Amino acid sequence: MKIETSELEGIGIIELKGRLMGGPDAGALRSAVDRFIQEGIKKFVIDLGRVNWINSTGMGILLTEHSRVRKLGGDLKLSNVSSRIRNILYVTKMTLIFECFDDIESAVESFYFD
Amino acid sequence: MSEEIFVKIPSNYKFLNLVDKVTCELAEEHGLGQELIDEVAISVIEACTNAIEHGNKCCPEETVEIVYRLMDDRFSVEVYDHGNGFDYKSYFEHIPDPKDIHHSRGRGLYIMRQMMDALEFEMVSGRGMKVTLQKLKDV
Repeated sequence: MKIETSELEGIGIIELKGRLMGGPDAGALRSAVDRFIQEGIKKFVIDLGRVNWINSTGMGILLTEHSRVRKLGGDLKLSNVSSRIRNILYVTKMTLIFECFDDIESAVESFYFD
Repeated sequence: MSEEIFVKIPSNYKFLNLVDKVTCELAEEHGLGQELIDEVAISVIEACTNAIEHGNKCCPEETVEIVYRLMDDRFSVEVYDHGNGFDYKSYFEHIPDPKDIHHSRGRGLYIMRQMMDALEFEMVSGRGMKVTLQKLKDV
């Protein structure tokens, strides 16, 4: 999995590419989140538009980061979620946890209304 | 009538991409709709991940075998590893909430059970664990 990070209006944007499935992916995503936290950023959008597929371990990684960020008083939302990943989120009831948006901009905008 | 396709991969996560492609291609060829194709592919990836991780303990010399059976009324997939299996019956009796961040393994089993029409586990003597996943075709 490859990770690209940027910042948009004070929100940490983390774009994932490839497969999200555990192993080194957990550490890589955690490091990316930590770098933002060190800069004082606690609100995140994780973009899954270029993720080919994800397994249950990958879901666990997203869940862990979501939990970590929420404990710090922040939030983590998802964008560009394919129908296949949305299906996994729905089956595992994680649609109750993750807010999903069509694109990064919509996800960033949603933070204004929180 | 049934057609059979056999795929064998080393216990390395990088080959799951290949398994995913083969699964999607065969399921589409067999006439499954996109939603059913996604459900089968997601479940097969979960079964293979378990086979590599828990069955073969990520040992690169051990292989995972996948047998696809294209039957008139269903799409069936068998996933074999070379491990000692696990007590799946008690696992299903106490399956954790998939939202619980502390239970990553149970989440995979939960996904397979929810997405497939039938899910069976069996220890095959001299071989290892066999997981059979079945998806009925739309009629």
